[in-house]
Amino acid sequence: MVALERRALERLTGFPAFLRANGFTIGGGETIEVLRTAERVGVLAAAPLRWSLKALLCGRSEEWRRFDPLFDAWFLPANRWQTVERRAAERGAAGEHAPAAAGAEGEETDATRSRAAASERERLGAADFRTLTGREHLLEIEALMRRFARRLKAIRLRRAARARRGRRLDLPATIRRSVATGGTPVRLSWRAHRRVRPRLVLLIDVSRSMAAYSFFYLRLARALGAELTDVRSFIFHTRLTPVSDALHDRDPWRAQERLQLLAEGWAGGTRIGASLAEFNREHASRCVHARTAVIILSDGYDAGQPEALAGALAELRRRARRIVWINPLAGRADYAPLSAGMQAALPHLDLLAPGGDLRSLEATLPKVIEALK
Amino acid sequence: MSPGDRARELAALQEDLKRAGYIAEPQLAAALLLMQELGRPLLLEGDAGVGKTEVAKVLANLLATRLIRLQCYEGLDAHASMYEWNYQRQLLAIKLLEHDERGIEQKEQDIFSERYLLKRPLLEAISGERRAVLLIDEIDRADEAFEAFLLELLSDFQLSIPELGTVRAISRPLVVITSNGTRELSDALRRRCLYQYIDYPDYDKEFAIVRARAPEVAEALARQIVAFVQAVRLMDLKKKPGIAETLDWTAALLSLGVAAIDAAAAERILETLSALIKTRDDRAAFPREVVARLAAAC
Repeated sequence: MVALERRALERLTGFPAFLRANGFTIGGGETIEVLRTAERVGVLAAAPLRWSLKALLCGRSEEWRRFDPLFDAWFLPANRWQTVERRAAERGAAGEHAPAAAGAEGEETDATRSRAAASERERLGAADFRTLTGREHLLEIEALMRRFARRLKAIRLRRAARARRGRRLDLPATIRRSVATGGTPVRLSWRAHRRVRPRLVLLIDVSRSMAAYSFFYLRLARALGAELTDVRSFIFHTRLTPVSDALHDRDPWRAQERLQLLAEGWAGGTRIGASLAEFNREHASRCVHARTAVIILSDGYDAGQPEALAGALAELRRRARRIVWINPLAGRADYAPLSAGMQAALPHLDLLAPGGDLRSLEATLPKVIEALK
Repeated sequence: MSPGDRARELAALQEDLKRAGYIAEPQLAAALLLMQELGRPLLLEGDAGVGKTEVAKVLANLLATRLIRLQCYEGLDAHASMYEWNYQRQLLAIKLLEHDERGIEQKEQDIFSERYLLKRPLLEAISGERRAVLLIDEIDRADEAFEAFLLELLSDFQLSIPELGTVRAISRPLVVITSNGTRELSDALRRRCLYQYIDYPDYDKEFAIVRARAPEVAEALARQIVAFVQAVRLMDLKKKPGIAETLDWTAALLSLGVAAIDAAAAERILETLSALIKTRDDRAAFPREVVARLAAAC
């Protein structure tokens, strides 16, 4: 009995680290809390211990869903957990940020991942540098993107807050101050508008027709993420993938690597409507609020139904503050938004702006900023 | 502690919760016990209408203590949630003190004493003699700055009021935080809290809830109602009906005298459907035939 309890305790101490290896956000101090919890609940009461640790160690719904299988993998009899543990340990040695998978399915993707990364790198390089190849071009892009990001930073929405000077009198504060002068308000306090930055959501089309531009736009997303705190980025072709974490990784090498891992099916066909609908369904409730500006970067060539696109945009329109569509083709002299996709989208947009090269992007910047305000 | 003890404790708590009108899963009961023992806040997430707020209410009810509720909204700042001075009374006092001989410092001390302090939820929650339940509702509506402030309060349970000094907690409240997920919460807050994701209830749980909350409904009808709602939730809707909607709808059906849900009652079900389906787009997904089909399947 005692031996059994001791062994259970030993396994408990390793559990937070195991979860961390599986992508849970868990701090270093959790082990102590786990032991305290176990002491109260009793290590041999399997179900209550599971429920208690679940409440203690999960922090978000996605972790909540994954907890039970991980708990089983860690605590179930040896023949099952040993392999899982070994797998996690090996992966831990190979790289910190590679998530350890508990199931066989995860193992498979992990094994193929490094190979996929190598070929992706070549493919990215070939597909995206088609028009801008020189090193000076690259630097120019970087510089422009940073400028763009900094100017977007200046957009603020208005919220009231206490201030030294303002337009409306702040009565409570004035009276509080007046106490010092015996109740006569000699110095007045004011309320002014505090400025709040809108959140930006970038939806970047990475389908084949956009291959020449999507690299360019990913740079933009990365520059924005570096300058601003509240930017969410997604890429889409036939489906949608969040790339914020990968793009906004502080370490540029790691960012590049993570992005390459995500880029499966890159440069395939487009289904804008379905991708936006997916965004609405999966992410909009968390990402989009009344202060959000959604920027769609796409050429509008949609293989899906235009009605689907219109419907998805209309729904997004109800949630978001602004929708701006940057279309790389719109800068051409003979361009008219005639494609079925663009036709369907137009009524729901606040602005359709060109952005096919550095110059046109720079030229439309003031308009974009104006539209986002 | 032997393995059976905790399980018994949990079963007892579940029973208590049930008596108070809340049907809880053992997971939730485990978290409620743990939050009292570890003194950590409990973060509840889940879609609107799954009964998150209800958890705090029933907890306060069970512990026979006060429920203090802080409803968050966009633009809520730390100040408005802690305290405010009662300016009108202060102003009056200033006038009354005009002919007072005391020095200005003493007058000021008098004016900024607790008598003129209006306690807002956060101050109220830590200044009671008894441990209260503090419900911070829909924290995702407040902004990041408020969240950071809250985090500080939750770690050392003291507030500072410039004119009065630091107020330490007399009793540490049990904190229940709810979020609908309109904004991603910070990792720091998530780490600080115990976590519970509350899903839509399954058939058995929802049936138990309907029985507990609407005992006047016959068992057979209650089963049909729950089966109907469960079927509706499987559809691709913008706003899925929560438990509150189920109960509303039950009441609506009762008031129209519906005795059984079947194809024959489709007309009256249609009339009451607004209690269950709350957006126009979703309403369009329920023409007569669909309702009749769903009802017939119950």
